[in-house]
Amino acid sequence: MAYPYVSDREVRVLSKYFGDPAQRRLDTYVERGGYQALKKAFEIGQDAVIDEVKTSGLRGRGGAGFPAGVKWSFMPKQPTKPHYLLCNADESEPGTFKDRELMRWDPHQLIEGILIASYAIRAKHAYIYCRGEFFEATQVLAKAVEDAYAKGYAGADIMGSGNDIDITVHVGAGAYICGEETGLMNSLEGRRGQPRVKPPFPAAVGAFGMPSTVNNVETLSAVPHIITHGGQWYRQWGTEKSPGTKLFCVSGHVNKPGNYELPLGFPLTELIEDVCGGMRDGKALKAVIPGGSSVPLLNAEECGRCNLDYEGVQAVGSMLGCASVIVMDEDTDIVKQVRRMVQFYAHESCGQCTPCREGTAWMTKVLLRIEEGRGTEEDLDTLLEMSRQMTGTTICVLSDSAAAPVVSSIQKFKDEYLALIRRGERVGVA
Amino acid sequence: MSEVPFKNPGWAGNTGEFDLDEDQVRGDDFVGTRPREGGHPSGAATYPYMLPEKHPDAPLFEGEHKERFDKILTRYPNKQAALLPTLGLAQEVRGHVSPETMDRVAELLELSPAYVRGVTTFYTMYNKRPVGRYLVQVCTNISCNLCGADDVMEAFLRYTDTEIGETSEDGEFTVVEAECLAACGFPTCVQINSRYYENVTPADVPKIIERLKAEGAGGD
Ligand SMILES: Cc1cc2nc3c(=O)[nH]c(=O)nc-3n(C[C@H](O)[C@H](O)[C@H](O)COP(=O)(O)O)c2cc1C
Ligand code: SF4
Ligand code: FES
Repeated sequence: MAYPYVSDREVRVLSKYFGDPAQRRLDTYVERGGYQALKKAFEIGQDAVIDEVKTSGLRGRGGAGFPAGVKWSFMPKQPTKPHYLLCNADESEPGTFKDRELMRWDPHQLIEGILIASYAIRAKHAYIYCRGEFFEATQVLAKAVEDAYAKGYAGADIMGSGNDIDITVHVGAGAYICGEETGLMNSLEGRRGQPRVKPPFPAAVGAFGMPSTVNNVETLSAVPHIITHGGQWYRQWGTEKSPGTKLFCVSGHVNKPGNYELPLGFPLTELIEDVCGGMRDGKALKAVIPGGSSVPLLNAEECGRCNLDYEGVQAVGSMLGCASVIVMDEDTDIVKQVRRMVQFYAHESCGQCTPCREGTAWMTKVLLRIEEGRGTEEDLDTLLEMSRQMTGTTICVLSDSAAAPVVSSIQKFKDEYLALIRRGERVGVA
Repeated sequence: MSEVPFKNPGWAGNTGEFDLDEDQVRGDDFVGTRPREGGHPSGAATYPYMLPEKHPDAPLFEGEHKERFDKILTRYPNKQAALLPTLGLAQEVRGHVSPETMDRVAELLELSPAYVRGVTTFYTMYNKRPVGRYLVQVCTNISCNLCGADDVMEAFLRYTDTEIGETSEDGEFTVVEAECLAACGFPTCVQINSRYYENVTPADVPKIIERLKAEGAGGD
């Protein structure tokens, strides 16, 4: 069965072999040109690899969009201690489902990216921190790593180059916060996955107290292509500041949800109408969350003028995040969906910071009250005030993420809150 | 609610049909099941599976599990880092992580029992109490929710005759609410033991449950 989530608007670089199980086999991957980028990387040397990735402008696909090449250049050039590369495969931002596809359809592409990145940052051991729920994807990946070892693409003296790089597939145990890079390091060390105060930054003091770099699965999967074809080649897609292609995870009320690889800067309207076959049942669009549940909602008017690159989404007041586009039609109960998202953050708060721990729990209660028709207009002021106190005041940005949908939904869909409040008042529940 | 037009290719294979068993779904192109003793050490931590058969009193870290545990230890600079995979290994055998199991793990990794308890309770995937043969985790987060996850949840509760977090009387099913399972384009996503079921609608639920019950009755 062919992979069904395709559109002729796509530029399939990372997702080229999605749907082709043969790609999981090392011999097929090599036949198709695999592991040549690694060989080239060893030939051109660390600095040239980092320069090429810098030239490409590849930005981190885990949410923050930090340029990968620049991040790598923070690592010490003369190692005095072990360095670690940590591949973030903890994908758990609601709305995001690209890393799992990359891991299970093209594991060697990821492994090759990991090896190149490890080489560039002078790491001799890379850990892939996989989400615990991904039994299937981690098995595919573990088998691929095993094959890479067997054929001399991992371990000691890789391809006779004299470079040693070990890879270990590690699994988490169910906690969203372990996706945050310092939470991930704590979890890898066998601790509670609570984020650390920065600085020190991971490039100075990371996993096991050693210099470390954390990169997302999609970021690393793009690396072999950049090394093979060059940084400039990657820039033929996307915009000046957001070059390249990106996997867009589209979910919600569209006809063809799925993962679509498109050039950055792709217009949101065309994504919904052309690529995803339009709104389900011909309904009207109400709202879109463009970057996973942690970013502000857009209303239909803002969607109409939103281009999907880091700057374009910012221009309409939200963030691209991991490009997880959640589409909501006219019948969507915004208050309920916002409550469900905040409930998620309350469940996942690691509890270190009071504004986050208390704020997310309290917000869930207030939102539930409004949803059930027992709210008042003052509740909206309370929610906004809580959001203000939860933003920019905590160790990590989970707290800010919880506030984002609340604030944006009250700004843009206040009528829906008021309707619930008024209905409640009328029937006398309040 | 209209039908989702596509079925996801599914669990490590070519088709997501619910009435196929795991081997069939994996198909000929599946690159292999992990060997029980762990295979290459790089992948020894990628277990554990969630298995229907649970042996709450079985010995821990013996035989093939001991081999896996030893392999895991070789991959980290200290013993503490092996804590999560080791707890997982214990849960694979026993089905849950009891205080006694935690103490045993603490001893093995030279950590204090209190520390191990603190870490274990932080993570949702460690079952602190026994669960049914099948742990059914229904994602009700936003993308699935927009496409009717609440109805799927209700259907599972109705057909297993349980409440959220409780185990059915026959010991077959424990149904819980899950957070986003990273399959949001294929709603509703339901994880049953180690396997993902995607695009589940309420109408699919009785079929899935019958199939699992039949599997159980057949002695697995
Ligand atoms: C609460 C929270 C959760 C996160 N979850 C993930 C995640 O699941 N996967 C991921 O790659 N990055 C996640 N991140 C971002 C990471 O902290 C980090 O920025 C990223 O892995 C760096 O890789 P990149 O530069 O390649 O994007 C999360 C951040 C926060 C604050
Ligand atoms: S903001 Fe929340 S999740 Fe982040 S460190 Fe503080 S309490 Fe933990
Ligand atoms: S929201 Fe259900 S899998 Fe992501």
